[in-house]
Amino acid sequence: MTQPTLRFRPLRPAVASDRPSSLDLLLTITPPALLAEPQRQQRPPLNLALVIDRSGSMGGTKLSYARKAARFLAGELTNRDRLAIISFDDEVQVVVPSTLVTDPQPFIAAINTIHSGGSTALFDGWLAGATQVAEHLDAAQLNRVLLLSDGQANHGLTDTTEIGVKVAGLTQRGISTSAFGLGADFDEDLMGAMAAAGDGTLAHIESPSQLADLYASELQGLATTIGRRVSLGVRGKHGAEVVDLLNDLRPTGAGNHQLPNLRAGQELNVGVQLKLPAWIPNQEILSVRLAWEAPGSSERQTLIEHLTLPVMDSEEIKQLDPDEVVAEQLALLRANRERRHVIAELDRGDVSSASLNLSQLYEELSAMPASPRLSRELDLLNEKLALLKSDPKRSRKNLKRESQRSSLNVWEGDDEQT
Amino acid sequence: MVKVSTPADALYGLEELLLVAGKLLGEVISSRTVRLYATQGLIDRPGKEGRSAVYCHRHLLQLVLVRALARRGLSLSAIAPLCVLADAELEQQLEQLDGVGAAATVPYPPASRAALDYLQDLQSSRESTPTTDAFPAHLLSKTHSLSPVLGMLSEPLSTQARSERSPSGSRFGGSTREASSRWLRFTLAPGIEVHVRESVSLPPAGSRRQQWLKRLLDRLNELIDDPFS
Repeated sequence: MTQPTLRFRPLRPAVASDRPSSLDLLLTITPPALLAEPQRQQRPPLNLALVIDRSGSMGGTKLSYARKAARFLAGELTNRDRLAIISFDDEVQVVVPSTLVTDPQPFIAAINTIHSGGSTALFDGWLAGATQVAEHLDAAQLNRVLLLSDGQANHGLTDTTEIGVKVAGLTQRGISTSAFGLGADFDEDLMGAMAAAGDGTLAHIESPSQLADLYASELQGLATTIGRRVSLGVRGKHGAEVVDLLNDLRPTGAGNHQLPNLRAGQELNVGVQLKLPAWIPNQEILSVRLAWEAPGSSERQTLIEHLTLPVMDSEEIKQLDPDEVVAEQLALLRANRERRHVIAELDRGDVSSASLNLSQLYEELSAMPASPRLSRELDLLNEKLALLKSDPKRSRKNLKRESQRSSLNVWEGDDEQT
Repeated sequence: MVKVSTPADALYGLEELLLVAGKLLGEVISSRTVRLYATQGLIDRPGKEGRSAVYCHRHLLQLVLVRALARRGLSLSAIAPLCVLADAELEQQLEQLDGVGAAATVPYPPASRAALDYLQDLQSSRESTPTTDAFPAHLLSKTHSLSPVLGMLSEPLSTQARSERSPSGSRFGGSTREASSRWLRFTLAPGIEVHVRESVSLPPAGSRRQQWLKRLLDRLNELIDDPFS
């Protein structure tokens, strides 16, 4: 099996025949599992640029960890992979132009020359990294810019929307971007927008000691990527109307939406809410089209599935037990969305409303049947509630990252409770 | 070396211009590229015959030079100062390209081109804003192969730049990183200045200078009306 599968999981397995109704539904996309342990030789070659912020605030421990992690990355690549290393403050320096990693030593020597400097020309740094990748762009490879920053872009182009548009333009031309924010001061909105537009990974790390793990996970993610530039089209049929996609996915045009990269063994869930007229039996309710590019091929592949459900009297449907797994997934997606509301309140300076809404969310989720996943979510919410009092900025950062789990590959380190 | 041996009095329609330039460069040039360069002032505005644009030898020289240098990794803003040179000097620039980074002229595979072209467009639109530096540091990695061109850029092409300075003109080193970003500053009125890179050779006094100033004035007019151009 090399194709992903797409499953419909309705909250209740029927639709009403006697009156208009709404239908809550989970779309589950399951990429094929890798048959064996991924062999390094089997993955497509990588064409990477690592772009490292060396602005003044990166000085000391952070930069020393960043150098260490970059050395680790160079060591993990093989002679089939290319790596460029860029560093930027208000100026951009190509530390190592894109080169095959036949020997990590020259990279390591060059990485050790990176020292901290001035302000943060984040966009220019990205541009330089992207240019290095573009000069050796090969559709058979995985071409990606890895951007590491701990600060606010404050030099050159800094507008989040504008940068997002430019990053998206490059994604369309075959180069993706991952954005890694480090510490307490990076711009989570900008990094989130870049990772979303870049079809890459978003990571927030609080300690630079997590960098090596993050890079390892990014390499693993690239090695197991089976679909990139993934788009999802969801269309109601016969009068069924899609009223909501709970994930708040990025629109890709033509009414479709962007999903994260398909990675072997990593399931994606999309929550859909539909409004239906009184339903006639055997009519298709929904058609879903998934499209993606497999690494090494620029041809788009597609998978189309249609949903039909049995019809029943609306009173009968109420008697049916909701699918608990679906209910939980939908609640988790809604909780991610609720985080966005809380962030908006924080941005207005209304900390008390933010706090109130977060506790209400906590209450709602605690009322649901317990599961390991749910208790993890409750822990996360509890942390954010406490942080709202002690460190609202950090709380916002974490809320933002968690809210994007619905729509992006978001890296979650093992020790993120620390 | 790029030798443009077409007759100096030849006239071209857009399609012909694309064809001739494309042949000289060994690449396909789109009309969009020509329009982009024209709006950025890298190519003079075409003449008009009825409703269609007419291009002459000078347009061809400008187009070929811009493409040839852009392909070698120079940003459009670094190329711009060369485009105002007289025809003979444009030809000379093209001939000087001899041996410069021969490897850099090897065509990229098409997919790669699309991404690179896109990034170069981003780069050049970035440089039309005053906050960016004229010479992006990411290009410095290529300086070894570009040294003849860079040398040319970093030194005034003639001494006119200095001798033609107006009484209120002053010189300042904009950036410490590159000699090529030394600028002349002319104060025209309180709050209004014109900055000219030192490497730009100003046309000598007389009709050529008047034409040159008129082109700049037209361009300024466009920019004022359309701040997004």
